[in-house]
Amino acid sequence: MEPILRTTKLGKSFGHFAANADIDFAVQPGELRAVIGPNGAGKTTFFNLIAGTIPATSGTITFNGRDITRIGGSHRVHLGIAKAFQTANLYPDQTVLQNCRLAALAHLQGAFSFQVFRRSTRHARIDEIARRSLERLDLHGVAELRCGDLSHGDKKRLDIAIALATEPVILLLDEPVAGMSRDEARKTETLVRKLASEMTVLIIEHDMDLIMGISDSITVLHQGRVLATGTPAEIRENAAVQEAYLGGHTAEELHA
Amino acid sequence: MTSTDVAPIAEPSRGGFFGADLRFLGLTALGLAIFPFALHLIGGYGGLATQILIVSIATIGFNVLLGYAGILSYGQAMFYGGGGYLAAILLIHAMPNHPNLWLAVLGATLMTTVLAIVVGAVSVRLYGIYFALLTLAFAQMVFFIVEQARDWTGGDDGLQSFPTPLLPIGPWNVDLQTPLPSLALGPFGNLGDLKLWYVFAAVVLVLVLWFVRSLTRSQFGEVLDAIRENEERSVFVGFNAAAYRLAAFAISGALTGFSGALKALYDGTVSVDSVGIERSGSFVIYAVVGGVQTLFGPLVGTAIIMYLENVLSGVISYWQLVEGVIFVLAVVFLPNGIVGTILKRRRARTMLVNAVRVK
Repeated sequence: MEPILRTTKLGKSFGHFAANADIDFAVQPGELRAVIGPNGAGKTTFFNLIAGTIPATSGTITFNGRDITRIGGSHRVHLGIAKAFQTANLYPDQTVLQNCRLAALAHLQGAFSFQVFRRSTRHARIDEIARRSLERLDLHGVAELRCGDLSHGDKKRLDIAIALATEPVILLLDEPVAGMSRDEARKTETLVRKLASEMTVLIIEHDMDLIMGISDSITVLHQGRVLATGTPAEIRENAAVQEAYLGGHTAEELHA
Repeated sequence: MTSTDVAPIAEPSRGGFFGADLRFLGLTALGLAIFPFALHLIGGYGGLATQILIVSIATIGFNVLLGYAGILSYGQAMFYGGGGYLAAILLIHAMPNHPNLWLAVLGATLMTTVLAIVVGAVSVRLYGIYFALLTLAFAQMVFFIVEQARDWTGGDDGLQSFPTPLLPIGPWNVDLQTPLPSLALGPFGNLGDLKLWYVFAAVVLVLVLWFVRSLTRSQFGEVLDAIRENEERSVFVGFNAAAYRLAAFAISGALTGFSGALKALYDGTVSVDSVGIERSGSFVIYAVVGGVQTLFGPLVGTAIIMYLENVLSGVISYWQLVEGVIFVLAVVFLPNGIVGTILKRRRARTMLVNAVRVK
């Protein structure tokens, strides 16, 4: 099958420091791929390159057969690439629903629309998509709350709901359960698993239980380069990964 | 600046055009009908009322930028003065025999809008002080051009005389200098103190207020609010933030140019001060004193400062010092401006009343 997303020799340098180098990466449609690696391995940089937050300094990114390397972030959202942020990035003074409505509005009305007389409330579809996104993240009960007042876990889930309201083809999740309690993390895991059955998901996460449990395959980054790609079982057994990622710890520890 | 002063955008529409909008238009028109007579009571005069209405359109345009798009332009004079000069030049060179107010004003407005799009295309990717300085630099370039192009602009002398334009409405050619019928109103002055200009300016201002009110409640205004509140998030739900800011800049350039053109035709002169740096600063002061992010704040701020300027400058010679002090006091004690503070108090009281009622 043709991969939905492919990077070829993708690189990002900040001055002399290569945060990402020579990354060849391919994801099949519908796959749930984890990107892991020790701190400073370049995972977030890699996500930012794919989402278009920062431009690549070398290599290419192909999405759905189209070269998107030079396309800006807001435009990539309309192609179907959505990103949930590592630190929940919301409109704190707006309601939870309105946060998702804005994303649905952007999705339905495009990157720019000069509607200076018409209200967005006239488009019933906007509300429909926003409410459905909230339901999928189990947030419909708090739809009318000001989102600055949400708990940490709800804020992180709202961030994902906002990304969902753009109706993405591929969803990038940057540490979706970071800072969550065990219960919240498990709840989020279930929700992410459900999402992954409907779209392609890329996930960065430090929670190894979660990664090993839900991923179809895993790519390990180390010092800005791809160290290994394989199924969770393959990665667990990979000696190079153990060496780099764990500094010589055993596979049981990785599993634990 | 807080976004709590913005009309809540997610609330469902009430009444539609013939409900809330008609009430809004009616009340605003009533307020503007009373305004010149109230002003007379405290020492103003008919001409001042007209000038306040015209200039406030530029402040409203500035507020679209500072209040709703959240960017501070320090070069609004290039549109204000630019609009004035362009309208005068159009009258002198393009229609010396049939001076038409519509054509002069709308032609000038169109050209300042184009200027705003050009300047904005270069500037809107910059933020904060860099955006302010870049707009200031463009305004100073316009100032320089106006000063140097003597054949067209009269240089430092400005343009002192140009044809008095008529306002064609249907079969009539209306001369806005025509006074209203004389009718003594005691301490409120005389209806005859006002010219038709006042009626025209009031109608135009009501339409401008109505337009900006719709804009802030529209989908466009909703997205502007979102971009102001969190630009990064807005980009990553798919909004082109620079395009929205450019559109706001163009609207602001149009309203400001429109105001400048009307003011020039009202005065019958354009001076080089109208493209100067102090003029740019004055819109900042008017808007901040009145209240940014409010519909009527720019009008109130313009009215208060222009009133004080006219009354005080006759009495004391250091008016600009007083203006500076007023600005400082407003920033320190009324950071939401006069109208913003009133709205906030009222909202707080409503919430308190509701809370008590719930108990």
